[in-house]
Amino acid sequence: MAEDLVLDTAIRDWVLIPLSVVMVLIGILRYFVSKLMRSSSTPDAKMVKEGQVVLRARNLRVAANFIPLKSFRVRKAYFTNEEDGLLHVPKGTAAPNPQAQMLSDPNMAMDMMKKNLSMIIPQTLTFAWVNFFFSGFVAAKIPFPLTQRFRSMLQNGIDLSTVDVSYVSSRSWYFLNLFGLRGLFSLILGEENATDDTQKMMQMSGFGMDATKTLGAEKDGLDIIQHDWVLPKFEKRAERVLRKLVA
Amino acid sequence: MVGATEEVELNRLENQVDNGGGGDWEYLCLVRKLKVRRSDKVLKHGLSILNDSKKRSKLGGEEWTLYEQVAIAAMDCQRTDIAMDCVKVLQKKFPESLRVGRLEGMLVEAKGSYEDADNIYEGLLEDNPLDQVIHKRRIAMSKAQGNISEAITRLNKYLEIFMADHDAWRELAEIYVSLQMYKQAAFCYEELILCQPTVPLYHLAYADVLYTIGGLENLQNAKKYYASTIDLTGGKNTRALYGICLSSSAIGQLTKGRNKEEKEGTELQSLAATALEKDYKKRSSNKLPLLTATLKNLKL
Repeated sequence: MAEDLVLDTAIRDWVLIPLSVVMVLIGILRYFVSKLMRSSSTPDAKMVKEGQVVLRARNLRVAANFIPLKSFRVRKAYFTNEEDGLLHVPKGTAAPNPQAQMLSDPNMAMDMMKKNLSMIIPQTLTFAWVNFFFSGFVAAKIPFPLTQRFRSMLQNGIDLSTVDVSYVSSRSWYFLNLFGLRGLFSLILGEENATDDTQKMMQMSGFGMDATKTLGAEKDGLDIIQHDWVLPKFEKRAERVLRKLVA
Repeated sequence: MVGATEEVELNRLENQVDNGGGGDWEYLCLVRKLKVRRSDKVLKHGLSILNDSKKRSKLGGEEWTLYEQVAIAAMDCQRTDIAMDCVKVLQKKFPESLRVGRLEGMLVEAKGSYEDADNIYEGLLEDNPLDQVIHKRRIAMSKAQGNISEAITRLNKYLEIFMADHDAWRELAEIYVSLQMYKQAAFCYEELILCQPTVPLYHLAYADVLYTIGGLENLQNAKKYYASTIDLTGGKNTRALYGICLSSSAIGQLTKGRNKEEKEGTELQSLAATALEKDYKKRSSNKLPLLTATLKNLKL
């Protein structure tokens, strides 16, 4: 079955290669467009401070055993006391939820829209283009066999159960390119600049993360921590080290 | 921190560049990446690239980074004329830039007119109140003017917002030590240990401060931190070895009349003393008598 499907070399020259090239070019173009539209936002002092507080509290939680008990207690009180501890968030004044914040701040909404536009518009356009010109035929064959499960991934747009799964339909080739070109982009555009769709999507869903929640979580973490000073153990360890050194 | 392999690479490149073997740009990039201070070399080699228009145009957009790097190096070498040229080029290219504004402030500062520099920085801070570099420059300026108390106030204000910045904590700790405000310095060193619990230097500095404050509890703690320094450095830190001996002897003096129970861990100090003797024998045998006399005085 697998042997009897011969792909025209014209498909390679006119579908497979152009499709890949177009995807790469669009990726690069999108990078520059988004760079043009990017507006630098100045972080606001409260947010920076909250981030730093969380960082410092995390340091305290992780390395608590390296400082004497008295010093630890002082710091813990500084972070978690109920009146004005840094991690304590008064109940009534919880930060307004980001959705509402977005509505009140048109700049924020604008930023979001710019990001989305630079992502969605080229994607819909290329998808329409691929769908219109190249839909419904096999464009490539991968050199190893795969199980039936991969059919929906590799043969999108072809509803034939008899075709071997190692054949890739043109529309699937588009998707593979869309998600698989990140490594190439990081090579072309430099490490940090790679336009990463999957990551962007994650950011989108994670948007609206509540700063007060992280503060609260950090506070709980600090509250339950047991202080067990490790330094006394170090005297024994130092003895061992020195004995080895002297011997 | 510069790792050992990176330093070897850096020195190799520096050698090569000094002898005209090429790789100037790679060297400058490495210097920038590792943030090491070799201003004289950077100035010399960076300037030779900038003066050669063919080499300069080859850099493309990186050209401006090089201008910045050379400008800072020139300020460090007191060649304000060169720095001024670089800053002017950058100003022409990026008239509204904050980064160039900073450079301008630093240039004025390098010339010694601190008040003007302060005004420039203050103007920049109005638009970007959260610029860490500018805050740090202002702190450094008050320190350079000898106005230590202002430096402390500014550092404290800075740390109120950027409280996870361990370099600032370190600076504050060192200032406090220089003013003999040991309790405050101890707090800062604790903060540093929390940030990077495996850096032996912070343990050592903290132990020094505790030893200086004195009192039985502090001395015992100091000994513990000297011990942790020894453990973290594999016993190679001479200062920590001395610290063990000194703090043990001080503890011994304080607990002279008391019962024997508290006199535990005598083995550590004798081990430290032996390690010191061995080290001196190996590396500086002519000073060995001095060491033995000192150790004898400590009555270990």
